[in-house]
Amino acid sequence: MKGLMKGLGVTFKNMTQKKVTYRYPDVPLEMPDRFRGIQYLDPDKCIVCNQCARICPTDCITLTGKPNPDPEKRVKLVDTFDINFEICILCDFCTEVCPTEAIVMTNNFELATYSRDELYKDKDWLFANNQNIRKENNSALPKGGAKKDA
Amino acid sequence: MIRTEELLLNVGPQHPSTHGVFRIIVKLDGEIITEANPVMGYLHRGTEKLAENLSYTQIIPYTDRMDYVSAMTNNYVLVHTVEKLLGLEVPERAEFLRLIVMELQRIASHLVWWGTYLLDIGAMSPFLYAFRDREMIINLFNELCGARLTYNYMRVGGVKWDAPEGWLDKVRDFVPYMRKKVDEYDDLVSGNEIFLARIKGIGRYDAETAINLGLSGANLRCTGVKWDLRKDQPYSLYERFEFDVPVGKNGDCYDRYVIRLEEIRQSLRILEQALEQFPEEGEIMGKVPRVIRAPEGEVYAGIESPRGEIGCYIVSRGKDKPYRLKFRRPSFVNLQILPKLLVGESMTNLITILGGVDIVVGEVDC
Amino acid sequence: MTGWLPGPITWQSFTLYFLVSVAFLLVILGYVTYAIYFERKVIGWMQGRHGPNRVGPLGLLQTVADVAKLLIKEDTIPKKAQRDLFILAPVISFVPSFVVLATIPFTETLYFADLNVGILYYVALSSISTIGIILGGWASNNKYALLGGMRSAAQMISYEIPLVISVVGVIMLSGSLQLSAIVEGQSGGFWNWNFLPQIIGFIVFIVAAVSELNRTPFDLPEAESELVAGYHVEYSGFRFAFFMLAEYVYVFAIASLTTVLFLGGWHPPFPFLDFIPGILWFLLKFSFVVFFLFWLRATFPRVRVDQLMGLGWKVLLPLSLVNIFITAIVYEIFFR
Repeated sequence: MKGLMKGLGVTFKNMTQKKVTYRYPDVPLEMPDRFRGIQYLDPDKCIVCNQCARICPTDCITLTGKPNPDPEKRVKLVDTFDINFEICILCDFCTEVCPTEAIVMTNNFELATYSRDELYKDKDWLFANNQNIRKENNSALPKGGAKKDA
Repeated sequence: MIRTEELLLNVGPQHPSTHGVFRIIVKLDGEIITEANPVMGYLHRGTEKLAENLSYTQIIPYTDRMDYVSAMTNNYVLVHTVEKLLGLEVPERAEFLRLIVMELQRIASHLVWWGTYLLDIGAMSPFLYAFRDREMIINLFNELCGARLTYNYMRVGGVKWDAPEGWLDKVRDFVPYMRKKVDEYDDLVSGNEIFLARIKGIGRYDAETAINLGLSGANLRCTGVKWDLRKDQPYSLYERFEFDVPVGKNGDCYDRYVIRLEEIRQSLRILEQALEQFPEEGEIMGKVPRVIRAPEGEVYAGIESPRGEIGCYIVSRGKDKPYRLKFRRPSFVNLQILPKLLVGESMTNLITILGGVDIVVGEVDC
Repeated sequence: MTGWLPGPITWQSFTLYFLVSVAFLLVILGYVTYAIYFERKVIGWMQGRHGPNRVGPLGLLQTVADVAKLLIKEDTIPKKAQRDLFILAPVISFVPSFVVLATIPFTETLYFADLNVGILYYVALSSISTIGIILGGWASNNKYALLGGMRSAAQMISYEIPLVISVVGVIMLSGSLQLSAIVEGQSGGFWNWNFLPQIIGFIVFIVAAVSELNRTPFDLPEAESELVAGYHVEYSGFRFAFFMLAEYVYVFAIASLTTVLFLGGWHPPFPFLDFIPGILWFLLKFSFVVFFLFWLRATFPRVRVDQLMGLGWKVLLPLSLVNIFITAIVYEIFFR
């Protein structure tokens, strides 16, 4: 009986305690800065090095480049850049390897749609996703990485 | 004699208490089980095969999804094995961070187990209390590595992020809070006569059976075998800390329950010491080449996950990808004892025993 | 209201009965709506949540929305089910739960039928619901439902007995099976209420009553974690709603019965509080019992089948028998 009474006491005590639920859909959730949400892409910074596509564990990034109109610059410009969010696992590798921080994480995470086709996001959509961009990117780079002086 | 008819019952894959998509086909005589056949593979994603085409770094997010309740230990076992293969030195600060998150993860994982186990047994509130307190750990992880479940935190040679400002203090505050909560859990459940009657003496086996079937973790320790890889094959920095390995003696569900709750307390002890000894300064990433090419060879490393010994076996042919990668998943191995335990038990005990084994289907099917 | 029942049945009186019953049914439906709301709120608070708060102000319309959803849902009957019995089962289980309420006196003047065998009437009719549950479990042609139905049959039969026998002590004290007479015998302060002299009987009654209600910790027939939903696993839409309704009406009935038998019905705990109307006292005690049931549900794990049977036959039954003897002896020695 004693154990039962103790249990009743615990639940009763909890009745008056502060509620711990979030008011999520009404009040947006504040994610910490490091949160890995949907990527933001700055096409101007992208040098079409293909590193993000290569590191991606699920092969969800496809990108193509076009030659720079300014013939003096040898860097290519990004032509198309698509991320397939059906299979993207938001693992952060693409932003980790990006030498110019053209692709960075944001704190946005709401991706639900009615159609799978809508999960195929292109360059313009990713560029428009410019809210809550992560401030701190890559605190631990492999030493001697390409990113160091970028 | 009354003539009774045998009843073939499919428990799962859609059943509220099989913790995912696990399935057992049981033959029932009344409510007594005469035969039990576990069926698995509903959540098989071929992680091991996929890994053969991925570079070592790329495998890390896949390990997050194996035992999704305890992703940090999975991360660790992979990077630890690769580091062993490469003979890499990991900076002390990184190792401390890894250890802290692993112990936090152990607490979180045991909390999930505790809550869902009580839910299996029919109590509702413990589940929500456990998730309320687990939420604190999840938030800590979220701040540290930017994800709540699939952390992808560790890298070969170190960790991805250093602790953000004030993070360690938050962990420091969390330890006494959790200690108080564990005592509250004891009050709520551990003394409850109904609960004790439900789990004492249920699902009993002895040490020999457990060892023969390769059980590990709390499932082995409940029989009185003091086997904890943190003590017996020390990895990481566990040698530096003082903690006890709780063991049971009856090998029943009750002992497993007590051991897991006690492990939460021991993890808190380790956390406390680790926070005290945490180095002020230091690198969090070792000297790792940009493309990791492991030398030819084979290597196995096992660590103590909340569920038992999780191991990783890598065969390398000198490429940047493993030739073959195999995970020893504790849930899968621990599950072997299930058909043996279930025969002769009632339907109700099926759930009690299955819950007591503490499986995560993502890990069983891998 | 006592005047009508013994009189001859004319069209006029029949219409009157009918209207009064419908009104009472509406009251009960209102109660069930808010009992469910209250239960979810209380359990939510105990678990650090808010409980329903989305539909209507403070979530007050949540249950209404739920019921509306159930009513407009497709009515599915499994192909291999025993169709007639499947349809009949929820009715059989609901009707007695409503009928038993007729004997419960809420105040001195507010009651429907003051039978002189009130308790027997209650006990006899309430056991009919079990048949509905077994039928539902069997007719669904589902293994989980069958197991749930069987469990419920075993459980309800074994707990009916201690439930009845634990009340015998109360009957001995008041010398009547009539519920209003039992309440009358408890007037004049809480020290006269039956739960004090009949403490053993009270405890046995509460335990047996929770078990009769199929509520935690004795909710084995619908044990979610083992039997998915037990006997009503194949039911949907308004048939399912009927099972739920029956369950909550029984909560109402048992809470009222506890109040009447053990907690002094409409009498205030102290005589000087007489100025507060009796119905309020009744409601207060009633709500406390209901709250207690919810509190149990938020706290306890479920008992196992064999332990449940053991508890019923080996503990509660002897205890209630002992209670009768003690009551008899004490009564003979001190009060006669």
